[in-house]
Amino acid sequence: MEVSVIRSSSQAKISKTELGCRDLRFCFGKSNDKNKIFSRKPNSVCFESQISRFRKAGLRFTLKAVHSDPVLESKSPATFKSLDRLRLFVGLPLDAVSDGNSVNHARAIGAGLKALKLLGVEGVELPVWWGVVENEMGKYDWSGYLAVAEMVQKAGLKLHVSLCFHASSQPRIPLPKWVTKIGESQSSIFFADRSGQHYQQCLSLAVDNLAVLDGKTPIQVYQGFCESFKTTFSPFMGSTITGISMGLGPDGELRYPSHHKPAKSGTITGGGEFQCYDTNMLNLLKQYAEANGNPLWGLGGPHDAPTYDQAPNSNSFFKDHGGSWESPYGDFFLSWYSSELVSHGNRLLSLASSIFGDTEVNVYGKVPLMHSWYKTRAHPSELTAGFYNTASRNGYEAVAEMFARNSCKIILPGMDLSDEHQPHDALSSPESLLAQIRTTCNKHRVEVAGQNLAPGAPGGIEQIKKNMLGENKIDLFTYQRMGAHFFSPEHFPSFTEFVRSLSQPELHPDDLPSDEAEATESVQTSSDPNIHLQTA
Amino acid sequence: MAAVTIDSLLQNPTLLFRPKAKVMLKPPRSLDCSRNRKLPLSRGSCFCSFNPRRTIHVVRASSSETALIGNFDTSSSDDIFYKDIFPVKRIEKVEGKFFIRLDRSKDQHDWQLTVGCSLPGKWILHWGVSYLGDSGSEWDQPPKGMRPPGSIPIKDYAIETPLKKLSEGDIFHEVEIDFNPSSEIAAIHFVLKDEETGAWYQHRGMDFKVPLVDYLEDDGNTVGAKRGFGVWSGALQQFSNVLLKSEASHADSQNNSIESKDSKNKNRCLEGFYEEQSIVKEVSVGNLVSVAVRKSPETGKVIVCLETDIPGDVVVHWGVCRDDAKIWEIPAAPYPPETTVFKNKALRTLLQPKATGNRSGALFTLDEEHFGFLFVLKLDDNTWLKFKENDFYVPLLGTSSVPGQYGQSDITTEEISSKSYTDGIINEIRNLVSGLSSEKSQKTKTKEVQESILQEIEQLAAEAYSIFRSSITTVPEEVVSETETTKPAVKISSGTGTGFEILCQGFNWESHKSGRWYMELKEKASEISSLGFTVIWLPPPTESVSPEGYMPKDLYNLNSRYGTIAELKELVKSLHEVGIKVLGDVVLNHRCAHFKNQNGVWNIFGGRLNWDDRAVVADDPHFQGRGNKSSGDNFHAAPNIDHSQEFVRKDLKEWLGWLREEIGYDGWRLDFVRGFWGGYVKDYLEASEPYFAVGEYWDSLSYTYGEMDHNQDSHRQRIVDWINATNGTAGAFDVTTKGILHSALERCEYWRLSDKKGKPPGVVGWWPSRAVTFIENHDTGSTQGHWRFPGGKEMQGYAYILTHPGTPAVFYDHIFSHHRSEIANLISVRNRNGIHCRSLVKIVKAERDVYAAIIDEKVAMKIGPGYYEPPSGSQGWSLALEGRDYKVWETS
Repeated sequence: MEVSVIRSSSQAKISKTELGCRDLRFCFGKSNDKNKIFSRKPNSVCFESQISRFRKAGLRFTLKAVHSDPVLESKSPATFKSLDRLRLFVGLPLDAVSDGNSVNHARAIGAGLKALKLLGVEGVELPVWWGVVENEMGKYDWSGYLAVAEMVQKAGLKLHVSLCFHASSQPRIPLPKWVTKIGESQSSIFFADRSGQHYQQCLSLAVDNLAVLDGKTPIQVYQGFCESFKTTFSPFMGSTITGISMGLGPDGELRYPSHHKPAKSGTITGGGEFQCYDTNMLNLLKQYAEANGNPLWGLGGPHDAPTYDQAPNSNSFFKDHGGSWESPYGDFFLSWYSSELVSHGNRLLSLASSIFGDTEVNVYGKVPLMHSWYKTRAHPSELTAGFYNTASRNGYEAVAEMFARNSCKIILPGMDLSDEHQPHDALSSPESLLAQIRTTCNKHRVEVAGQNLAPGAPGGIEQIKKNMLGENKIDLFTYQRMGAHFFSPEHFPSFTEFVRSLSQPELHPDDLPSDEAEATESVQTSSDPNIHLQTA
Repeated sequence: MAAVTIDSLLQNPTLLFRPKAKVMLKPPRSLDCSRNRKLPLSRGSCFCSFNPRRTIHVVRASSSETALIGNFDTSSSDDIFYKDIFPVKRIEKVEGKFFIRLDRSKDQHDWQLTVGCSLPGKWILHWGVSYLGDSGSEWDQPPKGMRPPGSIPIKDYAIETPLKKLSEGDIFHEVEIDFNPSSEIAAIHFVLKDEETGAWYQHRGMDFKVPLVDYLEDDGNTVGAKRGFGVWSGALQQFSNVLLKSEASHADSQNNSIESKDSKNKNRCLEGFYEEQSIVKEVSVGNLVSVAVRKSPETGKVIVCLETDIPGDVVVHWGVCRDDAKIWEIPAAPYPPETTVFKNKALRTLLQPKATGNRSGALFTLDEEHFGFLFVLKLDDNTWLKFKENDFYVPLLGTSSVPGQYGQSDITTEEISSKSYTDGIINEIRNLVSGLSSEKSQKTKTKEVQESILQEIEQLAAEAYSIFRSSITTVPEEVVSETETTKPAVKISSGTGTGFEILCQGFNWESHKSGRWYMELKEKASEISSLGFTVIWLPPPTESVSPEGYMPKDLYNLNSRYGTIAELKELVKSLHEVGIKVLGDVVLNHRCAHFKNQNGVWNIFGGRLNWDDRAVVADDPHFQGRGNKSSGDNFHAAPNIDHSQEFVRKDLKEWLGWLREEIGYDGWRLDFVRGFWGGYVKDYLEASEPYFAVGEYWDSLSYTYGEMDHNQDSHRQRIVDWINATNGTAGAFDVTTKGILHSALERCEYWRLSDKKGKPPGVVGWWPSRAVTFIENHDTGSTQGHWRFPGGKEMQGYAYILTHPGTPAVFYDHIFSHHRSEIANLISVRNRNGIHCRSLVKIVKAERDVYAAIIDEKVAMKIGPGYYEPPSGSQGWSLALEGRDYKVWETS
């Protein structure tokens, strides 16, 4: 008995805590702290290497040294350590900052941040709305978002910022008023479908380089926005802010608004409609057709595509066999349609990486998971959204290549969706699509971060775990989204459970692959191997 | 050998039931062993002398240990200078069977349901029945005749009967339930409980259900039939620890149901069946690890003999250390057979089975200079056995070392660690990071730390939840008034009644004094009705610590200072006879306890709802509740009920249902609803389906420098938020309107009666149909006078609320006073003109000394000394009523 007491001085430190703090970030006294023998990086320190490091460094803790800990420790708030390797973020409410730049339910967010920190969550995601910040062209009011960033920093969490150049309908966050006003007289800045209906939640990608916004092009306006953001938030960059998602289209995603109304989950929707009918898109199409020697093909979109809610096979364009999509015209149109989207993505991401490239912040872009009708040959949902991905063609190559070119990472939503919970008749397969995109990204060495569509999808949490902890690990996951449901007794316990299960490996550390221990060796070099903590 | 005797039941896991015994993969923390040491002789005495502050088990080795040690092939026991037996506990999954059999009993008349279980344990059948025609999923207690001897009733819905072995040699513990198939019983429901471990065994998360009648009748579909065996998601959902493996036998179960479906087409034609399911129980199994150290006289080397009776492959993960810091090192070869080096940090040796018995062991030959031998055991399935979360430690320095010095160093460490242990306790709250002092405090602390952090997380989440919840449900005012006002007011809902209700508060603060209030009020029933009231609010009916009834104790005891339960029923009956609906005043926020807990705190309840401290919210230190954090504000005079507890809600719903049924109450006046989340109120109201319900959400208005703010939007927003949380199933007293009337009338600031949008400034302006307007009640007025309406201006107040939308409530003291006829006249104007809770109000004047409004284009009113006359025009207003500083007109 007495002997084990002695041992506790070194060994007890290393015991695993129940909540899975596998990486130990205990402080061993002042002197130690100064020397920073432990890396602050979450994925660096693990159980085994600790022991070995102690051994190698010849650390000896006498009881007095250990004993002095309580006083010191009381200063730093206890947290369960951030999750190992996987960095988990939680989205803040979409309307965390809204009209007038006030922080909504700041007290709730404050409490929520604390709770997340204690749980060991790495950080939060903050949607930053164009419509909130740039109320007058070129005049930016960041005050609300600065307040949130400060709250996040104070809570000791990281921040992933999503720059939203689109509008939200629920909660209602419109585009900047001056943009809406321009749109009233000049509706061609918005996407249009075949019947001429405009989608007013974001600008059409065809106007990217047209000076439609009071003499400026949207790209210039976005640039101004990003630069102002960078300047304003420079104290946070790289420290608190670790990632930025560039808004690329509807809901921030790189796609066409092929469905004007958001689809209700669990219902079968059609394949959506092509959005190439605003004047500017039609102009582009015309030029492209003429350049390709088929001027007649440039007069409009496919005439035989079904409408939004019609089943894809109700007209001939998407038919599994002999559909027009497989015809030379189909290939012509789809190539153009998808390449416009990729070029648009490229414009925005190269803009973002040129602005944020010199910071330590990672730039991300969101690629949607258009999973319905994936099991058909034509993949209508993906085609209308702008991904020329069919049974015979991998449309994500171009996308991944574009991300790789701009050194940006991809956020893939829908990691909570599983095939078995999709309506059978939708011929949908979120899992296969996800696998396809991830494989393609791997090929192009584009890192993938995950996101769920909505909490509470049936089997969602299991699916997320599967996606994150499988062979093909994801190192960043953003869980959507903080709010009443998130903290409700129906949901929060399962989230807690989820976080804990992520951080608590089922295997004894001894049985983990040893490469991890090796990976940590490099970190050690920064520490002085001869630290002795002798009796103070 | 305390540890061994405790585990005696499964001391040897190879005994009876382990067809496929597997060791469960569990985090190492659960695999603990306590250590009973036999101390090295040389140090025993000094060790005992210095540990007064810590409990250390020094237990003599019992014969069983000796036997085990005896198995060492040691040449002479004289060489052994250290012997130790470590009892270790493993969690083992033991699989067994459990069966359900339905057959005719011996006399061929009755039927018999037999439930048996092959696993050892203290099995209890927790069961109940449902009757034909029962709706819902509640259990009932079975009739007395059905209960086997030894059954204990649990509340009023279940029975617990222990399973017994019919004879000594039997494998199965069984229980038999005889029943008569012609009885009204539709199904028997049960779950199995193991008293030893506290585990509940359920059928895929639900209870087992043995239908005794044709289920087609009930469910009318094959799904129901398929689910026939064991369907119901009820109050037992909270039981965790579900280990029942029903998947394997799932197919059987389905077959069975299909069979019974066929047979059951003949309705009530029972068919016997027998079904087995496998059941898995986690048992902790005790094993021993014995270690002996001897010195080889020939080589001078130290030989460590390690032996264990743990079955299966056991790998010793070991090393040696040079000093008491116990840093693992790898000793020099030779190693025992089957040894591998693990990551240069330790050695792994597979224990070799012994020729005799089920033991395995190994011999480790070590150089003399080593200080100690460290090891942990790794079993199949990656289970690790450790010693109190740490390594096993065997000292290697025997008699050859210097005992005196060694002991000395022990003393210091012991003391220091004890000290740090106590310090640890002192610092416990502040110091949340684990890992400070002795291993003991280390362990407890880690747990405490985790618990306290978890608790903090929960509290933070609850806080965030409550704010988010209230903010998302905020009703945009326009929407509300639009939808509300355009909606035809015909539907009866618990938030509004018919929409034409006029409420009478049927008591004051003194009403309990006579002891026969119910009878006194009964005499006034027809009078109250004739004045035009449609709803009456009666005082709280339950037994109460305070005579007025607001400190309830036994909710089912309805004999109070207001009268007996019989008198109450009589009163309700006569009120119903004159067409008045009756509201019971129910106090759900708090409840006075019957008993003290072990700390002398009153938080244990008695009576029919004999809740324990889990029913009390955790965040009021006065009452030391073990429930969750309160979902609202605390009322500090009594334990606040934790409505987040399922059992509490279930009991309260049952109680409300009982009040409805037994007393005949039509609805509720809900006391102190600030104390808990409105969502629970919704739950209660949906369960008790009242005709009308109103909640008392009373908090302070906003004042600046003692003067009431004109804008009371935040105040009414809080009330609206609460109504919203109830999903509009309840109205709320319009405290905002009362407060504003106070200022307006008292200070002659009638401009206050219009908000900045030109609407009434109280709740009635935002959500009129849910606003119960009032000017006085038993708390604000009466003999308490906490917030009395400005004297002499009561009729102006009534002229306002009785002409305006909302549901007006009139206080008893005002009805039976000189105001009576004026109030009666106002009510008749209201009724004559069909003004209801959603009537449209148009404010035409809100100035310093006069306020005037036109309601539904039918009634015009003004209060205040200033001048107002309705426009003379085609409408033809004629004066209907006139009193001190008020006038009411109606269209002729």
